[in-house]
Amino acid sequence: MDDIANSHDLEELECELDAAAAKAGRKARRRTAIHDIEPGADWNDVEHAILTRRSIRKFKGRQVPAHMIRRILEMGRFAPSQGNCQPWSFVVVRDKAMIAEMEQYCVAVCKNMTATIDYTNYPAGSEQRAVIMANTQKLNRENPNSFHPVPMTAIKSIANGRFAVFHRAPTVILILMDKRGVGVPEVDVGVVGTNIVLAAQSVGLGTCWIGFSKLLSSNPALVEKLGVQPPFEIAEAISVGYPIGNPTQQAISRQTHQIVWWEDGKKEILY
Amino acid sequence: MSDASVEKAAVPADHLPIWDDPHEAIYHRVSIDLDKCDGCKLCVVVCPANILELFGPKDSQKARLKGDANGCMSCNNCYAVCASQGIIASKPYDFAGFYEQKQISEFMFPRKF
Repeated sequence: MDDIANSHDLEELECELDAAAAKAGRKARRRTAIHDIEPGADWNDVEHAILTRRSIRKFKGRQVPAHMIRRILEMGRFAPSQGNCQPWSFVVVRDKAMIAEMEQYCVAVCKNMTATIDYTNYPAGSEQRAVIMANTQKLNRENPNSFHPVPMTAIKSIANGRFAVFHRAPTVILILMDKRGVGVPEVDVGVVGTNIVLAAQSVGLGTCWIGFSKLLSSNPALVEKLGVQPPFEIAEAISVGYPIGNPTQQAISRQTHQIVWWEDGKKEILY
Repeated sequence: MSDASVEKAAVPADHLPIWDDPHEAIYHRVSIDLDKCDGCKLCVVVCPANILELFGPKDSQKARLKGDANGCMSCNNCYAVCASQGIIASKPYDFAGFYEQKQISEFMFPRKF
């Protein structure tokens, strides 16, 4: 490993290269200046976009110009991925009939699910409730993520028409994942989506991740119609449109999370 | 302020929460400052859980929770759209017996380090 220079040698190398260039009368900048920001400095544009991004579920009716969708997708293209394998592609749906078809199918699945697993439809003490609860709690235990109480409440709301799966957005971006991706392609899909969502926020668009888009995968005919071919599968969707109101006027309050901080041989717990 | 949080039920370790039991599926509700609320209705419109409504006479309407409506995810979209900062969620949802909240602390606005 002797041929791998340590970071001190590399810094020297930068200096030598610049000095040599200056001597030869060439303008060459091989060093990047270090600009640490001052403690407590104001948010920069990227930080501001992160802090004011909200998941938008109520959109204005007007369509987003096509070039703006292309623009935010372009930001996705430059997301980091494991081994730079870029295990993604996209389906952009701006066709009202197609979005309606996707919506209809997801609602049907949710209706079916509430009918078979939502015991809250039956009064306490009833036999039906007890039977369904036993089945559901078994599912709950086997799939604690999918059958978490939060999506259960959402499934119920979708089934009874209280909210739309794709939130009636004018544009829906389906993120497809190449199953053959390096390592954990699901993570890469999350990263590409975050790029898209933050880019959208920075140009005044509202977005919402639609985890229920997974339901589409259980309809092979619709998947094919959408243009999804193996080895790609629908991993996630992002609804895009203009938000109602001004949800970016102020940053919100959120929980803090534990940070274990190792430094100078000591461990600290921060929040 | 109308923070109607409920006591958590004591449950055995292998118990799974009952979704419609407010002692087991605890969605911490938003607090609304009626002095600040100008009845613009934006919070009602953007709430993903659809648990808010307007009440009162037409010329001085205010926002409130819909009866015993449950489902607040503490997303604070209501706070984000509120021009008078009159509504806020400051506690996470919690499901007795599903899992315990761990390595997590109170709500805070963005801090500048």
